[in-house]
Order: sequence, then C-alpha cells, then structure tokens
Amino acid sequence: MTDAGEAIRFERVTKRFGGTVAVDGLDISIRQGEFFSLLGPSGCGKTTTLRMVAGFEQPSEGRIFLEGEPVETVPPYHRNVNTVFQSYALFEHLDVSENVAFGLKRRKVDGDEVRRRVKEALELVQLTGREHSKPRELSGGQKQRVALARALVNKPAVLLLDEPLGALDLKLRKQMQVELKGIQREVGITFLYVTHDQEEALAMSDRIAVMDAGEVQQCGTPEEVYERPEGTFVAGFIGISNLLPGPDGSQISVRPEKIWLGELQDGMTVYNGKVVERVYVGTTTQVIVELDSGVRLVALEQNTARARSDDRWEIGDRVRLGWHPEHALVLR
Amino acid sequence: MSAAAPAPGPKEFDRPRFLRVFTALFFVFLFAPIALVALFSFNSTRSLQNFKGFSFQWYERFFENESLRDSLIASLQIAFVTMVVATALGTLLAFGLVRARTRWAGSANVLMLIPLVTPEIVAAVSALILFTQIGMQLSLATVMIAHITFSISYVTVVIRARLAAVNPEVEQAALDLGATRWGTLRLVTLPELFPAILASALLIFALSFDDFVISFFTTGESPQPLPVRIYSAIRFGVTPTINAIGTLMLAFSAFLIGLAIVMPRLLGRRESGLGVLIGRDTA
Repeated sequence: MTDAGEAIRFERVTKRFGGTVAVDGLDISIRQGEFFSLLGPSGCGKTTTLRMVAGFEQPSEGRIFLEGEPVETVPPYHRNVNTVFQSYALFEHLDVSENVAFGLKRRKVDGDEVRRRVKEALELVQLTGREHSKPRELSGGQKQRVALARALVNKPAVLLLDEPLGALDLKLRKQMQVELKGIQREVGITFLYVTHDQEEALAMSDRIAVMDAGEVQQCGTPEEVYERPEGTFVAGFIGISNLLPGPDGSQISVRPEKIWLGELQDGMTVYNGKVVERVYVGTTTQVIVELDSGVRLVALEQNTARARSDDRWEIGDRVRLGWHPEHALVLR
Repeated sequence: MSAAAPAPGPKEFDRPRFLRVFTALFFVFLFAPIALVALFSFNSTRSLQNFKGFSFQWYERFFENESLRDSLIASLQIAFVTMVVATALGTLLAFGLVRARTRWAGSANVLMLIPLVTPEIVAAVSALILFTQIGMQLSLATVMIAHITFSISYVTVVIRARLAAVNPEVEQAALDLGATRWGTLRLVTLPELFPAILASALLIFALSFDDFVISFFTTGESPQPLPVRIYSAIRFGVTPTINAIGTLMLAFSAFLIGLAIVMPRLLGRRESGLGVLIGRDTA
C-alpha cells in the first residue's frame, strides 16, 4: 500500500469551556502512519485536541474525521483509537498481562488470540517475563511500557499519546524517545503525540503543529519549524532565538549556532558588543553578548577538544559578531 | 565476636521514655477489663471475683437458653441486613455526591454528616415517634430500618474519600479500551473501591450488631436484639453467662477485623480494609 490515506482530519474545530476558548478553529490533516506532534506550552489546547479525538470531549464547533468517517456520534469505547495517558492510568488490581488484554477482551477476541497478541505486545515493549507483576511492582519506565503495550495491542487506527514521557527522568526520557520512534516505525500506526518539550517533538516527529492560545501557529517538519519559524512565538518556543528589531516593526530572528564570534567572513551582517555572561552547559558554552544598542544575543562556543581555556571569550571582552544574511529570518 | 564496638544508633532524645510507660498503661486500662470478662466466662462457679476453676458451663447455659439464642440470631439478622442495604445505599450516595455536577452537592455533603453528629438518643426517639405516628408495628424490621438510616452516612464518608481519590484517567482508560460505562464501573471503578466497600460493610456490621440505644427504642417484644436482651437480663443479676456472651461477641468482632485485614491481601491488594478505615492507605 503506497497510497498513504488520511488518518485524522480536523475541520474548523473549536472547543469552548464556558467563556474560554481552548481550541480555536483547528484545521489539520494527519496522514496514515505519520508521527504527528502537537507542541505548545500548557494551556495551549493540545491536550483538549487529543481528548476530542479520543471522545472524552466534544467539539463546540467543527468536525473531526477518523479514517474519513465523522466521529461526533461515536462514544469513546467505539472509536478506533487508543490513548497512552500521562499518568499511565494502569488498572492497579490487574497484573501486566491482564492490563494489556483488557481491550482485546472487551472486543471479544478469542482466548488463544488474546494470549498470542499480549505476548507479542509485551515483546515489543521488552516486558517479557513481567506478565504477572502488578503495576505497583513496576518502575515508572516499565509502567510506561505497559501503558504503551495496552494501547498498541488493539492495533488502533491512531495512537494518542498525552505527554507520555513527562514523568520520567531525563536519561530514561531520551532512551524512551528513541524506542517510541522505533516502535512506531515497526508497527506503522499513526501516532498523535502531545508534548510541551520542543526537543522531544523535534527528535521524534514527522511533522509538528506548534500551538499557542488554541491556535496552530505553524505546522511542518521539525526542520521547517526550527529553521524557518513563522512568527515570533514559534521562533521563541522552539530552541533559543535571538530577536532584534527589524525594519517596519518586524523582528529579525537568528539562532545562536548561526552567530559567529570574532573572526568574521565577507558579506556578514556585523554588530559590535560586549560579553556580559558565560553559561557553561556541557558540550557548549552560551556566550551572552550585549550589543551597543542594548539588545542581548546568545551565541555558542563549542567545547571541543581543540578549544583551549586561554582562547575564549571572557566577561567584559569587546567582541565583533556577525552572521550570514540567509540565517536571519524576518518575522512579522 | 566482632572486636569492633557496635555503631552507636541514632540518639533517642526525641522519644522520651515516659511515652512508653504511658502507652503501656493505656493498653492495660484498655484490655484488662476485657481480659477479666473473658477469664470469668470460663469460671466454674458463679463468682465474678474468685476464679475457682475452668469450665464451659456458662457457654452451655447460653446456648441452652432459647430466648438468648433467639436474640443472638435476631442481632445477626439485623446486622447482616443493615450491612448489605446500608453499604449499597451509602455507596450510591457517595457516587452521587462525588460525581453529580450540581450546585446542591455542597449542601448534600454537609447534610449527610448530620446523622454522624446527632446524639444517638435523639435519632432513636425520633425513629420511635415516626414508627408510631405512621402506625408501624415495632419489630425486627423497624430496628433494621432505623439501623440502616444511621449507618448510611458512615458508608458514604468512607467511600466518598476513596472515590474522590480514584484517578479519572483510569476510568477514561477503560472507556478508551472499549469498556462501556457499565463495564467501566464493574471492571475498574468498583474493584478500585473494593477495600473501602469491604471496610465500611464490616464497620456497619459491627456498629449494628452491638448497638443498644436505637435497638432499645425501636424493637418489638420478642425476639429482642442481643444487647437489649442482655440489658434486661442484668437487671436480675449479672451471671457469667453475660461474660460468655461478651467473650463470644468479642471473638466474633476480632474475627471481622481480621477478615477486613486479610481479605484484600488475599485478593492481591496493596491496602487492607482496616487501613482504609483508619486512614492509612498503604498498609
């Protein structure tokens, strides 16, 4: 099957809670097999959007189509989607295999098939051997895997993930990002992934919709939203952005890694300033420069093997910095 | 023997020794009278002061006494019916109070507490007045109705707390996985509440079984609930038969508490029913 159809389509979807608008005129189409992320700060409407797909909330206006069919009259238990909840939401009174089998049993799948698919799902998330553990005996990462297996075992049209890695520590989160991406590629199920972590969204997604105040600010591949942010919100929310006043009330955005310090090349946009702070963050050091106009910019100094401690920018140094014009984006 | 001196433990300056004495005295005062009651129930003579020898005669007397036996059976019936009906109604009320999205929920939550603070004598007299006003013959049925009425609040208080603590995402997960609303209640919500339901059921059984005041006012002539029957009996002098009854009741209550602790564990639960009752969630 080469023709990738449409998994979800939002048509002018608006959700109001009382007087507040949580989601405002959402228009997105998600392809089958896509890893699609909704990225934004808390309160931007991303979780509400997810819950409308799951069926826990109804849109105030607009329609949602799942595999081409409108879903507003379909209750959650008849929708061909499954959710991985932020709190995992495991059934504490059931063991791991009973948790994973829960959805299949509701669909009256026969016993041998249930056993076979539960076994497969637990293999997929590397929990073979923990079939009879109770959720309370598992670590956070293991609970996460059970929640994932419990949803994936039903082979839904779309898997909905609500900040599933939010409760894990940094190292485990990084590891699970890689694993989740691998699992998604293996099973080929459409993932709709909600997160406020821009690095996570960039690392895993095929496409990202950046949301703010209920509206999609930009929708595109990780590279598009990072390299060519449309508007100051996206530029500021994804990665570090340096904003300078541009012509006609516009703003100019330059990424820190695009700024050169000291030795410049021909054709660069050049400014003069003074180093006011150094922030050591491991692989790089952020050098904060205050321009003569008073604007502060962040540039990066690589902490590579070649870097020497006597050859670096110190606080108080006067510095010339610049960038190639194609790396400066005009935002309106 | 190790040559190294044992490492000094943490200093106990924050745990004064008199607290141990105090705790010990507390348990002596608590259990000594009960222990004496149990001891003299096995006395071979009628005396409640001198223990002469061991015998089961007072237990035999109790079981031979038809009227006492009928009272025991009546009390067990009352407690059982009260337990089943009050636990069911109280659980439903807890669902209503926690889940109903109405502005009356706040008032209902307060009103529900009133039976807990009403003096029992007031509840008893008002029940009696109600039954006579509507021309209801006093019997075991009237005792049951009165017991159920005062028991519902206890059930609701215990279950409401537990229900409010149920993670809404767990119920949504069940819906998400294809369970209907009824299926979610049966397969997820009620199992989550099970320790609380069991604990309140046992609490209600114990409260109803040894209730005196309300039973006294709302019972008919015969058979009377056991506590009322015992009260009539001691007006003609205390015999060790009373001790035997007391000891049996004590053993039975201990059995119920044991059940409350063991049952959830047998079913693979983290917490015991008793833990729920005394407010300790993870025993």
